[in-house]
Amino acid sequence: MYHLALKMLLGDRAKYAMLVGGLTFATMLMTQQSAVFFGLLKWTTSHLSNMRAKIWVVDRNVQQANELKALRDTDVNRVRSVTGVAWAMPIYVTIQSAKLADGNFKPIMLVGLDNTTLVGRPPIMLRGQLEDVRLPNSIILDELGIQRLSVGRAKPLGLGDTFELNDKEARIVGICRADRHFFGYPYAYSTYTQALQFAPKQRKMLSLVLAEPAPGWTAEAAAKQIQLETGMKAYTEDELFWSTIRWYFRNTGIPVAFVSIIVLGFIVGTTISGQTFYAFVHENLRHLGALKAMGASNSLLARMLLVQSFTVGFLGYGIGVLLVTLFGQVVLARGDPPFMLPWQLPAATFAIVMGICAFSALLGIVKVWKVEPAIVFRG
Amino acid sequence: MSASTSTQLAVHVRAVTKTFGTGEAAVPALKGVDFDARQGELLMIVGPSGCGKTTLLSVIAGTLNFDGGEIDVFGSPLHAMKPRHITEFRKRHVGFIFQQFNLIPTLSCIENVSVPLLINGVSRRVAEQKAAAMLDQMGLPGRGHERPTNLSGGQQQRVAIARALVHEPRLVICDEPTSALDKDTGGHIMDLLCAVARHPERSVIVVTHDNRIFKYADRLTEMEDGRVQRVHGQGGNHDLIE
Ligand SMILES: Nc1ncnc2c1ncn2[C@@H]1O[C@H](COP(=O)(O)OP(=O)(O)OP(=O)(O)O)[C@@H](O)[C@H]1O
Ligand SMILES: [Mg+2]
Repeated sequence: MYHLALKMLLGDRAKYAMLVGGLTFATMLMTQQSAVFFGLLKWTTSHLSNMRAKIWVVDRNVQQANELKALRDTDVNRVRSVTGVAWAMPIYVTIQSAKLADGNFKPIMLVGLDNTTLVGRPPIMLRGQLEDVRLPNSIILDELGIQRLSVGRAKPLGLGDTFELNDKEARIVGICRADRHFFGYPYAYSTYTQALQFAPKQRKMLSLVLAEPAPGWTAEAAAKQIQLETGMKAYTEDELFWSTIRWYFRNTGIPVAFVSIIVLGFIVGTTISGQTFYAFVHENLRHLGALKAMGASNSLLARMLLVQSFTVGFLGYGIGVLLVTLFGQVVLARGDPPFMLPWQLPAATFAIVMGICAFSALLGIVKVWKVEPAIVFRG
Repeated sequence: MSASTSTQLAVHVRAVTKTFGTGEAAVPALKGVDFDARQGELLMIVGPSGCGKTTLLSVIAGTLNFDGGEIDVFGSPLHAMKPRHITEFRKRHVGFIFQQFNLIPTLSCIENVSVPLLINGVSRRVAEQKAAAMLDQMGLPGRGHERPTNLSGGQQQRVAIARALVHEPRLVICDEPTSALDKDTGGHIMDLLCAVARHPERSVIVVTHDNRIFKYADRLTEMEDGRVQRVHGQGGNHDLIE
């Protein structure tokens, strides 16, 4: 009977298209918006993926990665002296203005790395040698930086080219790939001492300390020990990640906006699909009643409706996720807007779409169960 | 059972009552109906509009509950059976033919005819083979893959008859099978139904308004106001039929 159930559904092209289209739309809206949302949240933690360390030591009041408060220079040594710490390295993070060929300025996120170890180095070098960053006035720029700072030039910036950073000459010795920052700044890396020279002099220049737990110590235990002994705040990578995400959830309207769109997708999907399916069942009620008269049990009719409903569900979901994936490919190649599609996301959408289908089928099933088979004799 | 037992009862209805609605809105549709149908016969139920013909047909077919009395159809006591068993009874033993054909327009003729077999758990392949053969028998060879809406009314009713017979039911129920058809086409359909009824273990019951087809009946039951008034035909009087 199931093949006939499907044929009945496919035979009603308008409703069939409406059902698949509605579920595709709902899937897209929910998955795509969530992916943009996750992408945006991921951008808020770009420091973590661009500097990479097991322990992050910051000022006691810092709750998230993008709001660093300066430490005293001596704080690095205080962290180094904590039992449970294998090593600790200073990082200077600052936003500085780079001058473009046309005279305009663009902000860049400058990261100063420990001169000898280069801890906090860029995750992927595309061109040039990391070690060259130790040469005077040298800088490693990410792809976005190259793109941004090349504006107004005859050809894009390359290795050996220079630009003005805060009135001082900076020479590009490497190009790296880095995750995008929440505020859209490109990342640039230099040594710690070089970064101090690019930036205007301030009383406290140390932004944070990256540390590694000693052998036999977990990151959690070492972080706890650092807090205990120095009074500074020490996060494991994971803790800082979630603390940052939580901060944006609490302190911005972003989650509300996204949750409303996702709820909207759910409502649109449920309404379109529920209503269309109900109309489909309603129009076929006479035929379903005839099947009932001929001895089709309620459970057989219910299974037929489930087959119909879940078929459009699978189709709509499949097309929707496919479209979102294609969208993601384009967007990820461009780097903008933010986009992140962990498998949990399509899985959650799948569950929701199946829920919508179950609900729609249920509406129809209730209706069919109430049908008296004797209606088939009435005009 | 043999042909000589064709006077054996197929359907046995005693003192059946059915009231629609309750209180002031109550409509007593059957007021104690006594009625029999024999094996191997085509029995007609006639009477004025609203006298309860369709209601009687519905309770005999097991598609409608009744309030009182007893109905026995080929040994199944409907008054004593659970709904689940009545559904099972309809599935096995009853074939339906409706005034409006009630074919599913999005399915081909073969698919429409295969439905009762599929409901009875027959495999798709066997069901479609049998359906095609039944359509041949109904004089529709080669039309099986067409949609019923491409066929004329008479042809559609033939498809409906094929569907009603494909699982070889013992009771065939027809409500106004010819009233949507012209005289000649209706006559052909009645010829077919008469042939169907010439089966020792079967009974065909036809409800109709259409006096042009009374002559096809073996017996004719006249209803009035929720009761059986007269039975014409073998053993009864024949004037309505002639
Ligand atoms: N579902 C229902 N609810 C309420 N009343 C009903 C229902 N079905 C039938 N009736 C009433 O029961 C009575 C008998 O109806 P039924 O349809 O059996 O008559 P009928 O002889 O088939 O009439 P017709 O020749 O017009 O088809 C009528 O008064 C009708 O209005
Ligand atoms: Mg009627």
